[in-house]
Amino acid sequence: MADLKLESVTKVFTDDDGSDIVAVDDVSFDIDDGEFLVLVGPSGCGKSTTLRMVAGLETVTEGRISLGGTDLVGRDPQDRDIAMVFQSYALYPHMTVQENMSFGLEESTDMPDDEIERRVTETAEMMGIGDLLDRKPGELSGGQQQRVALGRAIVRDPAVFLMDEPLSNLDAKLRSQMRTELQRLQEDLGTTTIYVTHDQTEAMTMADKIAILDDGKLQQVGTPLECYHEPANLFVAGFIGEPSMNFFDVERVGEKLVHDEFEYPLSEETAAAVADTNDLVLGIRPEDIELKTEGSDPHDFDTVVDVVEPMGDENNVYLTFSDGGDAETFVANISGMQHVESGQPIVAHIPEAAIHIFDRATGKALRNRKLDEVEELHVQL
Amino acid sequence: MTDATTTQTEQTEQTLTDQLTIYRVALYAVLITLVGFFLAPIEAGLVTSFKTTAAVTETVSYMPPGPEGFTLQKWETAFDQLLRGLINSFVFAAPATVISALLGSMTAYGLTQIDWRGQIPLLALLIAGIFIPYQAVLVPLSRIWSVYIPLTDLLWFVWAILGISDDYGRLMALSISHIAYGIPICTLLFRSYYKSMDIEMIEAARLDGASVRKIYQRVVLPLSTPMFAVVLIYQFTQIWNDLLFALILLSSSSSPAAPVTLILSGLGVAQQGTDFALRMSGALLTALPTLIIYILFGEEFAEGVAS
Repeated sequence: MADLKLESVTKVFTDDDGSDIVAVDDVSFDIDDGEFLVLVGPSGCGKSTTLRMVAGLETVTEGRISLGGTDLVGRDPQDRDIAMVFQSYALYPHMTVQENMSFGLEESTDMPDDEIERRVTETAEMMGIGDLLDRKPGELSGGQQQRVALGRAIVRDPAVFLMDEPLSNLDAKLRSQMRTELQRLQEDLGTTTIYVTHDQTEAMTMADKIAILDDGKLQQVGTPLECYHEPANLFVAGFIGEPSMNFFDVERVGEKLVHDEFEYPLSEETAAAVADTNDLVLGIRPEDIELKTEGSDPHDFDTVVDVVEPMGDENNVYLTFSDGGDAETFVANISGMQHVESGQPIVAHIPEAAIHIFDRATGKALRNRKLDEVEELHVQL
Repeated sequence: MTDATTTQTEQTEQTLTDQLTIYRVALYAVLITLVGFFLAPIEAGLVTSFKTTAAVTETVSYMPPGPEGFTLQKWETAFDQLLRGLINSFVFAAPATVISALLGSMTAYGLTQIDWRGQIPLLALLIAGIFIPYQAVLVPLSRIWSVYIPLTDLLWFVWAILGISDDYGRLMALSISHIAYGIPICTLLFRSYYKSMDIEMIEAARLDGASVRKIYQRVVLPLSTPMFAVVLIYQFTQIWNDLLFALILLSSSSSPAAPVTLILSGLGVAQQGTDFALRMSGALLTALPTLIIYILFGEEFAEGVAS
């Protein structure tokens, strides 16, 4: 069984002047056998360091990493049964594709040459690079190099794949294509995978499970939809989703959330969830805001359209509460078939079922949106 | 546009072209002078080497010899007298060059791609080694090889079996001295090259299961070709041209193991006067191997210097 376990893993780098920098702080998560975990976070959050500790390229300051029950800490990278795909691909430039892919099998196993050749050819065919085996990396395009790098990892049939932003050097079109392909490949192979990225779209689309890191600390581990709809805190809420969730600093006065520009009445149930915390942050996803021409609901607010970003299928509409020059804007995401113009007044409906409320001091989510209305599309067979 | 402005533009263009031409002419004049300045001594040496002794005194040094003053005699004599030295030089310089380059490359690999304590002091030591002048070690060097490790005596059976003079023990000492002296500079050259190598590639090799030795052998070494060209050319020229160590360790040009520089220093010098033609042909003959090495590795050399 190739279930990978990280327990209170900590990495401290000591600077030249003797000061300590905590890169990864007490991170714990489990990955089940065959699961695809995406480790996501902004640059410098410690996600690559975590991956490198699993690979054995960095030492672990504190904590335990185990694979299928056996402790990995202290083992050399070559003894961990792990393959890694690097951002730069890290192919051996003086070797052909065939030699690049055989290298790992030659060094880590005592497989006979003809068996190695058979497996390399097989993997190359699967990756669609069968006709490139005699070329050197310098003669390949970025996408082809990427496939060789993946093939080199796959051919070794390791217990765990580690991928460090493997798609970030590809252009947008190829990236989304490789994303799908990689996902399918991982499903077919069923190999436990940790995938590092700073791109939340990659995280959302590919992962079985997402682990979100910020400043070396683990913020949340969950399925993509859990992280999206039920963020554990402000950071996760802001990081996952594009465009980001709108946040308003509010104060609770009785049954209302009071902002400089508006007041938001709360139902009893929501008010109970908030309990007696007063400094709060109100969060609402752009697609949950409805735009109307008129309304009288207590959750309707008069706004002015500041900027419209048409995307074709949808529009991102930036709104302000007052027509002031430097007023704070928030974004609503509406259908591409709805047309609004900059400068026009409009009513924004912020439904209570969709709001998130966070404690401003700790960032912790006090109330997340309700998922009662999720529509199940099941075809009866 | 009016006629007047057109003419004016044309005139400006004309002046510009004129200025450019003058600039070009001046530039080429300077360049040709410089080329002449550098090539004149070599040209003088080359023409002199083909002159008879009489022609050397009668003609101007940089003029080619007339039909009656031309001879290949001096080259033949120089070749006859230097052949032994050329062979000896090659016998000690070639291994010294290759071994010092290889050791330098390995040391640099250890200092860049492998993590261990004490790298900084070792690097400091190696850099200090580059700055030790030859003169400072002459006495200890000759004592080491004559008193403490006298290879001539220690390896007597080797010389006996090969049937060669035990002076070759001194030549071996010379070779080892040059290897030791070459390691610091070779290490430094390779170190800068390895520092620019993709670290992720080395890490990929580690994850692929390759040991430290295997990574060097299969990844680092094959990628070092351009730097090897630089180091081989540099080291070979240094070692081949050395006279000081040869003088100290072999002392006499009459030794059967004398390298070519040692023999060259006495070539064409006699009480009757200096045979300039012979000295010139000898000097050119001695310089030839370094030139050949440069031509052989020229392409890789350019690549290595560029990196």
